Amino acid sequence: MLLIPCPYCGPRPEIEFRYAGQAHVARAADPSALSDAEWAQFLYLRDNPRGRHAERWRHTNGCGRFFNCIRDTLTDKIAATYRIGETPPDLAAGAEARR
Amino acid sequence: MPDQALRQRAPLEALARPGRFGATSAAAGVMLSEIRDRGLASVAARKNQRAALLAAAKSAFGCGLPTRPRRAFGRDGLSFVWAGPDQWVAMLDHGPVGGIEPRLAASLKGLASVVDQSDGRAVVRIGGARARAALAKGMPIDLHERAFTPGDAALTFFSHINVHIWQVDETPTYEIAVPRSFVGSFWHWLTEASAEFGYEATGSNSSA
Amino acid sequence: MVDAASNKPARAAAEFAPVRQTAAAPSAASPYRLATGGIVDRSAPLLFSFDGRNYGGLRGDTLASALLANGVRLVGRSFKYHRPRGILAAGSEEPNALVELREGARREPNTRATVAELYEGLAAVSQNRWPSLWFDCMAVNSLFSPIIGAGFYYKTFMWPASFWEKLYEPMIRRAAGLGRAAGMPDPDTYEKAFAHCDVLVIGSGPAGLMAALAAGRAGARVILCDEDFEFGGRLLAECRDIDGRPCAQWAGSLLAELASLPEVRMLKRTTVFGAYDHGVYAAIERVADHLATPSPHMPRQRVWNIVAKRTVLAAGAIERPLVFGNNDRPGVMLGGAVRAYLNRFAVKPGTRAVVFANNDDAVATLLDLAAAGISVQACVDPRGADAGVVRAAAQRIGTRFVNGAVVRARGGHRLRAVDVSAVAEPWHKLTFPCDLLAMSGGWSPSVHLSSHLGGRPQWSDALAAFVPGPLPRGMSVAGAAAGEFGLAACLAGGAKAGAEAAGDCGFAAKPVAMPGIGPEPIGIAALWRVRAKRGKAFVDFQNDVTVSDIELAEREGFRAVEHLKRYTTLGMATDQGKTANVNGLAIMAELTEKTIPATGATRFRPPYTPVAIGALAGHHRRKDFKPTRLTPGHAWAQEQGAVFMETGLWLRAQYFPQPGDNSWLDACNREVTATRNAVGVCDVSTLGKIDLQGTDAGLFLDRLYANAMSSLPVGRARYGLMLREDGFVLDDGTVSRLAEDHFFVTTTTANAARVMQHMDFCHQVLWPDLDVQFVSVSDQWAQYSLAGPKAREVLQKLVDGQHDISNTAFPYMAAGEVTVGGGVPARLFRISFSGELAYEISVPARFGDAVIRAVVAAGAPLGIRPYGLEALSVMRIEKGHVGGAEINGQTTARDLGLERMVSSKKDFIGRVMAGRPALLAPDRPAFVGFKSVGDGAIGAGAHFLPVGAEPSARNDEGHVTSVAYSPTLGHLVGLGLLKGGSKRLGEKMRAYDPLRGRDTLIEVCSPVFYDPEGARLRA
Repeated sequence: MLLIPCPYCGPRPEIEFRYAGQAHVARAADPSALSDAEWAQFLYLRDNPRGRHAERWRHTNGCGRFFNCIRDTLTDKIAATYRIGETPPDLAAGAEARR
Repeated sequence: MPDQALRQRAPLEALARPGRFGATSAAAGVMLSEIRDRGLASVAARKNQRAALLAAAKSAFGCGLPTRPRRAFGRDGLSFVWAGPDQWVAMLDHGPVGGIEPRLAASLKGLASVVDQSDGRAVVRIGGARARAALAKGMPIDLHERAFTPGDAALTFFSHINVHIWQVDETPTYEIAVPRSFVGSFWHWLTEASAEFGYEATGSNSSA
Repeated sequence: MVDAASNKPARAAAEFAPVRQTAAAPSAASPYRLATGGIVDRSAPLLFSFDGRNYGGLRGDTLASALLANGVRLVGRSFKYHRPRGILAAGSEEPNALVELREGARREPNTRATVAELYEGLAAVSQNRWPSLWFDCMAVNSLFSPIIGAGFYYKTFMWPASFWEKLYEPMIRRAAGLGRAAGMPDPDTYEKAFAHCDVLVIGSGPAGLMAALAAGRAGARVILCDEDFEFGGRLLAECRDIDGRPCAQWAGSLLAELASLPEVRMLKRTTVFGAYDHGVYAAIERVADHLATPSPHMPRQRVWNIVAKRTVLAAGAIERPLVFGNNDRPGVMLGGAVRAYLNRFAVKPGTRAVVFANNDDAVATLLDLAAAGISVQACVDPRGADAGVVRAAAQRIGTRFVNGAVVRARGGHRLRAVDVSAVAEPWHKLTFPCDLLAMSGGWSPSVHLSSHLGGRPQWSDALAAFVPGPLPRGMSVAGAAAGEFGLAACLAGGAKAGAEAAGDCGFAAKPVAMPGIGPEPIGIAALWRVRAKRGKAFVDFQNDVTVSDIELAEREGFRAVEHLKRYTTLGMATDQGKTANVNGLAIMAELTEKTIPATGATRFRPPYTPVAIGALAGHHRRKDFKPTRLTPGHAWAQEQGAVFMETGLWLRAQYFPQPGDNSWLDACNREVTATRNAVGVCDVSTLGKIDLQGTDAGLFLDRLYANAMSSLPVGRARYGLMLREDGFVLDDGTVSRLAEDHFFVTTTTANAARVMQHMDFCHQVLWPDLDVQFVSVSDQWAQYSLAGPKAREVLQKLVDGQHDISNTAFPYMAAGEVTVGGGVPARLFRISFSGELAYEISVPARFGDAVIRAVVAAGAPLGIRPYGLEALSVMRIEKGHVGGAEINGQTTARDLGLERMVSSKKDFIGRVMAGRPALLAPDRPAFVGFKSVGDGAIGAGAHFLPVGAEPSARNDEGHVTSVAYSPTLGHLVGLGLLKGGSKRLGEKMRAYDPLRGRDTLIEVCSPVFYDPEGARLRA
């Protein structure tokens, strides 16, 4: 039972959200130019770190927005959430902004 | 079409029987009613038109569109509730059928997409001394007066059903918009949650 | 004594004068009830029954204290050996005194008598015994204990394997077990609720009360929970003075102040049972367990989901038993429990007592026993010089002090005497007659909630106990739970933790004045087992785990703490080893000659105490498991006698039966025939409906759909196919263009939410720069499909006269806005799923009921019939349209024969991957129709096999996806996915269905059985 800070609605219980995979996986501007290996990477291969992981979540039972979330897969600590299109915050600087 | 006019049915018409229900040991802790005469519409800013839209709304309706989860009141019974970034639900008290969309569209043309939702949502008003306690049985957000005040709004859920809630006054009174197809389950669960405190249902309530 | 914070009080020499001046004449009704004292209400007598016998108790009693007041000592039988058991504890850690509470459908097994609040008419029976508690035949198990020790069934019931399910398991379940479930539907209701606070305080003992007070006075929103039905924790159970007043009285004034603070919420009978991430806690409130039946509109229990910015864990500590021979005899009780029964419940748990402790807690026990008029035969302490205060206390009340240990308890159904071995004369055994042994092996802080998120408790040699290790974020621990074992330390620790917690939430707390407390000895020397024990020495009472079992586990190599638990069952069952874990671990450490920290530490998981599944489900059971969605036409369909089926959350009409129907098929055939020959109407309001606007709306749809949408003229509709990025089909539906920058999209009912999520993803994440806005209007519009050669005739009666809906003006795939019934706005789409001339008409939902009634009234002279999902499905199979069985996540547009829809002129989601070589392989299963050639039944899921081939996976060539009886054609029609697809028209195959024992010959054909030219839908 996480409390996830939606960048638009504030902290809400996990049950309002749906996980939406790894963040910052960009779709190619020209998909037909990708090699098979690049397609495999884009479609199927994801990071599985022990520690901080940039993820997408959707506030399904709320504003319906997708957003990014830096979550520690070991402790479930959420270091930051930020909007789609924003660059990940500099967490090295200790900016555990929204939790 | 035969001469007979098509009869309108409010979402809760068959369900929200007026009367006193649940525990009767004390005064009713929860008051429930359905608002049946309010027009609703989704308003979404067109790309790169947010600033122009806010300005247009200000001059046409006399209120800014809230940019965080709040409700803002304009002229002539019109109000806007935040419904996500660059999205609002516009509401018109005593709105005639199909009346809200043209009224908004005329002023916001090219600045926003407007979609009539007057039939897509049931609006339930809940008030009374135990309204918060009843809502806490299904709603995960903090409605305490330090956390949620008149004018505040939230998109959340009540017992698995997506709802849009905003506070009306400090009594406290809230209004909750529920997708019409879910309103039977919503009403059932809301009344179950309220029964412990005793609730008074009045069939319909004027929107203003 | 658990959630209630317990301190570990003891007295200084100065306080040795007994506090209670009036001793102890048992009342007539309850022979062991003290005449005065306690916090029971003597003016509120209650009648209850145990094993069919009636007894009297008082309001404020637990079942355990009421039984003791009546001299009932034997209350249960043990799990494996069926040994007679009494009451060990006075709180939720009780391992022995488990009973079946209530009767009939409300019967609840394994209820701890020590926490069951007495009410008028309470009925309890003992469990795990036959034929009676006093004479239990299964007690013969005790004789076989040498062969039914730890791991016995892993070794014994190995073979033959088939015996396990039929013989061994039922036998073991009958012999070893706990109570019986009611076996009937629970008549009560349960609910869930959310709560939010600044500071959650868990436990209302001295530390918890002070924490709540400090935070509450500062103005913070506080929730104070205690599992007991009275707040106060050990303050209710001890005979101490605080500020010159009895401690229970002092607690009362604090509670009154807390109750007066508006932002302090006090939840008694509420156990916080789980700690979760980010300050979320779960608690169970026993709202009506103290009543015979809940009042109307009152749930029996409520599960709280508490979101706390900060938490103070003040859950107290649990006393440990001492491990010696026959330490499970009824009458052997924890010292703190003895004091609770004396001081809180005014009950004498015995008449002649011996005190056996390895710590200074014995002082309070000795004095309280003496004050109650119970003769104390001996005080046994394994410590020598360190036991000075205990020795002095014994001397003061005239009790013999023995430096030694109890080696064995004597007696069967009740304790008769204890054998003691003194350090000075180990060869000389002393025997003290007694019916009560008050024992204490020290206290274990209730660290459970501190470790739910993985923090490992840490061992303290000085305290001989585990204290909380790394804490969950936002949690602090105070009082005995933190290893602060003195009353003064508990009060100070609680006040500090409460003030800090409030401070962290932005509320400045003023220091709370500390009350005056006398000095208190808290010395302890660990004693994990009495080595000279004789008889079975129990470590885990509930699971009958003895020292010998741990020795066996050690010899057999199950030394790691988790192995020890699983091999011996130490620490399992309903009490999860609350009194057993530390002793078991310490004994293993001794056996392996390691330190306790090197041996391990038990981490805990929720729930802290058992929680009924029904409470976790709350309101959401049976029909209320999930919400139900109803269409605006639902009431009308109900009036027509429709049989409904669940499709996702929706209830949809499946068919409309009529008198005389033999089965649903009669109704279905009638509905199909009426639609094909005249006209039918079907409620399709459940379709996902999306309103889409913006200058880039067409472009956005082009990227979403495999076929082009930007080329769609205004006023036209188009069938659309949406792919996933990996090239498989996601959904199909229709797109209509209402204006240059305004589209109306429908999805299938099943995929409505999924498609909306997909569109949101594409817009918000992939192409945020597009000017497109869309919103679900599924609930805004009621939508009906009118199909059949007379559909237009019906519609013309409904649509207002100014709208021309003739075939010329409103041809196949036209879409537009009309009005009906004199000005009601409506949308009309000439689209067909059935293959007939058909329209879908949308009206604002408030008119949905009226419009379906108007349609049927208008169509009645033309023979209109409402049709349901069955008829809908038959007609789409006859017409060869793909449905959910074909769009199954494994099929491509090409597989479904829809490749002509796939545009090659634009990019869209799934285009590249749909062209993968494997997805273009000629032998992929592809969409075909088939007719039955044999006479057997065929069901979806049957496999296509070549005629004469052996049924094997190798010969499998595809499967039947949809099949129906066609009343139009008079035979079965089916759809399937077959290798090679349309290249195999005319071939005969087997439809082989081993699950249903069917094997029928079929002939492959085109999937379009009905009107292949499409003349009817353009009519």
